[in-house]
Amino acid sequence: MAHAADSSPVLRQAARPQSSAPKEPRVGFEGRMMTPGLILLAALSIVPFLALIAMSFSRVLLLGGVRLEVIGITNWVRFFTDADMWMSWLRTIIYFVLTVGLEMALGVGIALCLYRVLRGRNILLSLLLLPMFAAPVIVGLLGRYLTDSTFGLYAWVLRSLGYTGDILGSPVSAFAAVVLMDVWEWTPLIALITLAGLSSVPQSVREAAAVDGAPAWMTLRYIIFPAIANVLLVALLIRSMDAIRYFDIIWVTTNGGPADATKIVPIRLYETAFRFFDLGYAAAIGLAMLAFSIFIARTFVRLLDTRGLTR
Amino acid sequence: MSTSMTPRSSVPRQAGPDQAVRGNGHGILAAPPGMPQSPLEESSRRSRWVVGILLAVALLWTLVPLLWMLLSSFKNRTDVTSATPQVLFAPTLDNYRNLFTGSNNLGPYIWHSVLAAGISALLAVCLGALAGYGLARTQMRGKKHLAFWIISTRMAPIAAVVVPLFLIFRGLGLIDSIPGLVLAYLTFNLPFAIWLMSAFFAEVPASLEESALVAGCTRWQAFRTVILPLTKSGLVTTFVLCLVFAWNDYAFAVVFSGPNSQTLPIAASQLVTQTGIDWGQLTAIGTIVVVPMMLAGLAVRRWLVTGLTLGAVTGE
Repeated sequence: MAHAADSSPVLRQAARPQSSAPKEPRVGFEGRMMTPGLILLAALSIVPFLALIAMSFSRVLLLGGVRLEVIGITNWVRFFTDADMWMSWLRTIIYFVLTVGLEMALGVGIALCLYRVLRGRNILLSLLLLPMFAAPVIVGLLGRYLTDSTFGLYAWVLRSLGYTGDILGSPVSAFAAVVLMDVWEWTPLIALITLAGLSSVPQSVREAAAVDGAPAWMTLRYIIFPAIANVLLVALLIRSMDAIRYFDIIWVTTNGGPADATKIVPIRLYETAFRFFDLGYAAAIGLAMLAFSIFIARTFVRLLDTRGLTR
Repeated sequence: MSTSMTPRSSVPRQAGPDQAVRGNGHGILAAPPGMPQSPLEESSRRSRWVVGILLAVALLWTLVPLLWMLLSSFKNRTDVTSATPQVLFAPTLDNYRNLFTGSNNLGPYIWHSVLAAGISALLAVCLGALAGYGLARTQMRGKKHLAFWIISTRMAPIAAVVVPLFLIFRGLGLIDSIPGLVLAYLTFNLPFAIWLMSAFFAEVPASLEESALVAGCTRWQAFRTVILPLTKSGLVTTFVLCLVFAWNDYAFAVVFSGPNSQTLPIAASQLVTQTGIDWGQLTAIGTIVVVPMMLAGLAVRRWLVTGLTLGAVTGE
């Protein structure tokens, strides 16, 4: 089974000599170590997954005990013909591209700046990382406070610059606001990961470029970025997975409004499931979201497998 | 960062300046050290200014909302909703006092949050350490598929997990209970802990266990007394990150918690009512929710990169 010991992060240890392995039953010590965790994980993931599939083909009755009434593909037909749903997917994609794109650009920018700071880099980084640990729901509520049209600090700043609209009240500015709140919270993550990647670029490589007289942007383009491409890809994937996981900020600021402008798919799912209690249809939406995230996870794992990354 | 004569002390800034020197037609050694007018000095000073300004802007953008929240939590009712921002004001502890007195006492919510997040993080780390070790060392067939299954459960959208769990929990009577919340948090913390601990264990050379086995330890003893102590920082990092994820959760708690299990983020969101929002209290709750996690997060900063990239990138 030596072929299994290749470059995935969990596989990367040196192969243990066969001789040192004591005679053990089929499952082995490793298997026994994994058992409790994996059983619980199976109960928490496979059971809900099967339930989700079953629900997507049923009408779910909650009153008088939970019951599933099989109705075939009705939920799925609705899913594929619901015009509002397609708008939500479109909005989700725009939201996704904007948040993740801005976070990548700003995060890499901050990391490049931080990398040039020699003294006090640690304290600067620590301060810049703070938003990452804030609960998204608090970020949303704080954003609401800051953008309130009568007493919000940022609304006041914008007012003195000549903008008087209600930020969360009109579709475009509300969308921009929830994007920026997400950017505020998660840009530090990208900066942190990128900085780790930058620090791993050997100094000799940079020095060589410097001695050869390469201008800064060329060093960046041809030396630095290729060297940290893998790390950037990891940052992008990690962020992408979480970008579709969290929707708390939108939930407590605009709740999908105004006029559905910020109603991304998870918001619609929550509304469907827990406001209208149409759990069957919500299950269909959930499965579609799951397919998307599994695709990203697949890419992530394949990336770890095929490239050595930094470890 | 003095002159062009000491490239080692200023490596990241060398690229541009050297080009400038070469354009001079003199080569590196010809650049007069210490002369402020040299193109090299000027260019590197300019880039230092640009970096400084950009970082200052980033710091402002990052910290102003947090500082504003902290400040506002000490303001009285009129200051907190004043049309012109109040920076100088008579500080008051009323907001915090109101949170802990009266009908809507925050105490139980803090306790629920601590219990739900703490227990789920602890369980995740214990089970994650065992399973992570197994995963790091096993050579079974299908290991890749196993690893993929684990990571994909971590990445599943919360909205897709909540719907079936709601049904199951309703059947089992786990709605509005701390065990229900703990289980809900384990759906993301357990796979995270398994995967991350396995990355930490993979860093420990297998030869260490071998020597322990040769010395007469059982596999379990080798794990317990040799390997586990070496991954202490990994265990702490995993615990802290699990704690942060669970503590900050809103999406699960808003569906599963009720009067007996309401957590802090829910309590915060419930201050938003039809009749208006008490922003003083809200910023106070915000501070209470956010500050402990920031301190915990910064305490494990050295391992954050490893933790948050699930072991794909190592920092420092």
